[in-house]
Amino acid sequence: MQNLAKLSAPILSLSFVAGLVLWAYPEGAAPARQIGIILGWVGCGMLLASLFLALREPRLTNLLGGVENMYWWHHRLGLAAYVALLAHPLLLAGASLPKAPQEAWELLSPFTESWPVWMGWLSLLLLMAGLGATFATRLPYRIRRPLHAGLGIATSVGLIHLLLLGIDEPVEPLLLASLALLAWRFIREDWGVGASPYVVQSISRVSPNVVEISLAPLGEPLAAKPGQFVLVAFQSGRRFKGCCEFHPFTVSSIDGASGLRVAVKALGDCTRNIQSIEPGVPARVQGAFGEFLGNPASTPQYWIAGGIGITPFLALLRAGRLDRPTTLIYLYRSEGDALFVDELNAIAANLPNLALRLRATGDEPIDPESVLPPGEDVAKAEFWLCGPPPMIELLAGFLRRRGLTNRWMHFENFGAL
Amino acid sequence: MPKIYIVATATFWIFVSGLWLAGLSAPKTLAETSVPVEKGYSLTDVAAHASPSDCWMTIQGKVYDVTGYLPDHPSRPEVIEAWCGKDGSKAYDTKTKGRRHSEAADRLLEGYFIGDLKQTTP
Repeated sequence: MQNLAKLSAPILSLSFVAGLVLWAYPEGAAPARQIGIILGWVGCGMLLASLFLALREPRLTNLLGGVENMYWWHHRLGLAAYVALLAHPLLLAGASLPKAPQEAWELLSPFTESWPVWMGWLSLLLLMAGLGATFATRLPYRIRRPLHAGLGIATSVGLIHLLLLGIDEPVEPLLLASLALLAWRFIREDWGVGASPYVVQSISRVSPNVVEISLAPLGEPLAAKPGQFVLVAFQSGRRFKGCCEFHPFTVSSIDGASGLRVAVKALGDCTRNIQSIEPGVPARVQGAFGEFLGNPASTPQYWIAGGIGITPFLALLRAGRLDRPTTLIYLYRSEGDALFVDELNAIAANLPNLALRLRATGDEPIDPESVLPPGEDVAKAEFWLCGPPPMIELLAGFLRRRGLTNRWMHFENFGAL
Repeated sequence: MPKIYIVATATFWIFVSGLWLAGLSAPKTLAETSVPVEKGYSLTDVAAHASPSDCWMTIQGKVYDVTGYLPDHPSRPEVIEAWCGKDGSKAYDTKTKGRRHSEAADRLLEGYFIGDLKQTTP
């Protein structure tokens, strides 16, 4: 059932794109021109589908195989649309090249007075800047974020380009749909109108660069399970000035019927600022998302955590549920980077099903053989990995070489949200 | 994914530059190389070519055989085909919310010129 839900995002997206192409299929034009027009519609459809998949409504994410699945397709459809839309004007202009090179350039040139061409160029340049900012991870988040949002605006500008060319069907309803999706995303999700109000109840210092924040609901609480994550925007308190940006945090504990805790590591400007948060600060919370640690198989379980990646496992252990033999391998650079170790030791002492292995890896790359010795039978186990992407990549590759298939490996992955 | 972005973007700009250079180095447009035609047609003549497979139209006192251009027109086919066999001057001048077609379109149109519109007395 979950596999079907995961496939629904690409099936819906590609069906929508195919429908647009069939509707607008150009007949009688030169082959290069035909391909150029088709690629224009393919890009347009993929951009709209990508915009739709950027919505973070919990019910929608459940229908479409989870927010990670939606974002996986959101990224790929966005990039594929970009490539198609770059080729679109080149092929249209290229079709005229053999008989009239000057006209080929005039068709493309932004220097001739033509609103349709200007809108086409504006859309392409917004896409170029938005995707460039997405990949330029060294750029500050406050610059990358608005540039990435420009990708949504590029979709509407591209549709205006089509309207100005005299193509009003089916462009008018598509333009309305793109504006509605943009408004939905900006108002309900980025501004937090659709988020639940919470308040910071208490703060616990876990390490010099990690705090654990306890949140209490001010209204209807969110339904969260261990292993899931929430998006939280911390606002301003009496002395604390929040950055009000939504960031993903794994739930580290579910407290009673309504409260929850998140552990925040100082990784950027906003999360560094959150280290000085105070009780009473209001927060907007969206979620909960993800299915990490959900529906484990009946085989032995291996949990591998790196650094702050201990939080989903901690949430499940704190909930006191462990009905399968489980090995928790916690990797950290040095003793000073180990989080919640005393609590983990205390839990392990009381849970006979849990084998806890703590491992300081140092600054050298991790040796997978030392984490999972050759004699250990891992082929019939299920693995759950959460930590820095290089660690997950290294260990997943190692496990595959040991005969484990992807079906038995699960990753917590929300870095690109 | 960043590699695909970089390769696609660089390729795009290389091709745009190539088209620009090709346009600069091209001596003449199709319209400029066309053989001038000195012939006059009446509106009745034009009206006899009113289908997408044989489409003439008059624009600003000139007659054009745009049959070969119809598949290349960017809008829906009905938008331009509705003017086959008729005077399309007003439609040509009021595209995109009252804005007329671009100068590039003017030059393109010249390639399909076949004669002048004969003035008829009432």
